[in-house]
Amino acid sequence: MQGFAVEFSAAIALILNGDPELWAIVLLSLKVSIFAVLISALIGMPVGAALAVARFPGRRVLIILMNALMGFPPVVVGLLVYLMLSRSGPLGVLELLYTPTAMIIAQVVLVTPIVAALTRQVVEMLAEEYSEQLRSLGVSRLASVPVLLWDARLALVTALLAGFGRAIAEVGAVIIVGGNINHVTRVMTTTIALETSKGNLALALALGAILIGIAVAVNAMVSTLSLRAEREGLRHA
Amino acid sequence: MSEAASNQAVVQAQGLDLTFQTNDGPIHALKDVNLTVDKGEFVSFIGPSGCGKTTFLRCIAALETPTGGTLTVNGMTPDEARRNRAYGYVFQAAGLYPWRTIAKNIKLPLEIMGYSAAEQDERVKNVLELVDLEGFGGKFPWQLSGGMQQRASIARALAFDADILLMDEPFGALDEIVRDHLNEQLLALWARTEKTIGFVTHSIPEAVYLSTKIVVMSPRPGRITDVIDSPLPKERPLDIRDTPEFIEVAHRVREGLRAGHTDD
Repeated sequence: MQGFAVEFSAAIALILNGDPELWAIVLLSLKVSIFAVLISALIGMPVGAALAVARFPGRRVLIILMNALMGFPPVVVGLLVYLMLSRSGPLGVLELLYTPTAMIIAQVVLVTPIVAALTRQVVEMLAEEYSEQLRSLGVSRLASVPVLLWDARLALVTALLAGFGRAIAEVGAVIIVGGNINHVTRVMTTTIALETSKGNLALALALGAILIGIAVAVNAMVSTLSLRAEREGLRHA
Repeated sequence: MSEAASNQAVVQAQGLDLTFQTNDGPIHALKDVNLTVDKGEFVSFIGPSGCGKTTFLRCIAALETPTGGTLTVNGMTPDEARRNRAYGYVFQAAGLYPWRTIAKNIKLPLEIMGYSAAEQDERVKNVLELVDLEGFGGKFPWQLSGGMQQRASIARALAFDADILLMDEPFGALDEIVRDHLNEQLLALWARTEKTIGFVTHSIPEAVYLSTKIVVMSPRPGRITDVIDSPLPKERPLDIRDTPEFIEVAHRVREGLRAGHTDD
């Protein structure tokens, strides 16, 4: 127990003294996950909204597929992206393997289904509520998408935060496609895995504390926002 | 269009049929409905549930598609008329969006139609005044009473200056006193704006008090059993409801409703 206390105070010292290596890792984590979420938003929101309002054969299958992808194991996503990016893979010429870009790609694959599925749910509910009003105004289903997205903005931010939560805490995919290279692709989760196995608990603990802080903050924001969305949205529904 | 405009007919229905196919066989929601509504008229549709009064209103709004006969709105098909912003529609429930303020709710159609921000503000101000809700633009729907919410939804239907106002039992959920008040206000608004109004109700006094023309309908199949041109003057204080003329019209409406019932 003595050793643990020592490691723990060393961890706190690392955080408080602004250890440059520690903060470089934190920054890279944030950079990778924020980029991944932004790209996922650009893909996932229009796809989710389109699935909510458009009617075409195979729509239900797509929705089921999308929902299933939400629970896709990160390690398998890492493996698939690895195969795509590896030298002999179809995208090998881009030489992206073991770069932050590869990690962003893997996280986009993980987060996009979450954003798309949540967007679809929210927009579909709104579309139902707006449907008669918008029809009486002569607005087609597809043309109503911008209105619906704008009025759903609170719930959509929640979807993005949920996606960010998954991205920042994920280890399996980024360790495979990033390779956990020091100063290049080493992020919080992969560092924790590595340093723990090396017995360097101070750094692992410090990063763990920061990661938990981020996770708690994100979740607090999600619940605050969804509470607000619920209060505004359901009071008269 | 020019011919239609000159004879002032806003809505013309000839031999209108609408049949819904259900698992229990076809339902004749409307059968052989013939009606002409002239510009500036206040027409009420009254009848028991299932008589097709709401369905007919929805046909005018192109929210339902008739299966037979012809229907024109402003001389066009209902769908064309909708694209020309011919009507504002007030639904049974106020249907205000709780995450938007009253002003923002009224702006919804204006945003969709691409009005400038300044024009939107101007119009919101005007219609709020029309429905006596000055100063309530910044409130959220749940901060308003039921009657005020319904007025706000009328304001939304008025915001883009359609010549026709279609109202589907807008005051059905309100208590008698509030309803009386809103009826008075609606008549004043109609006199000021000179719109053509189609109004669905199941209240005989409401229909007689408001209308220049009362269309009595009956169910199975949904059809018109009587069309009454009201002899009442355009100026109508609430106590007109105690006059012999009023009672006579109300009586004729009641007779029409009863006749419709004995048919089945």
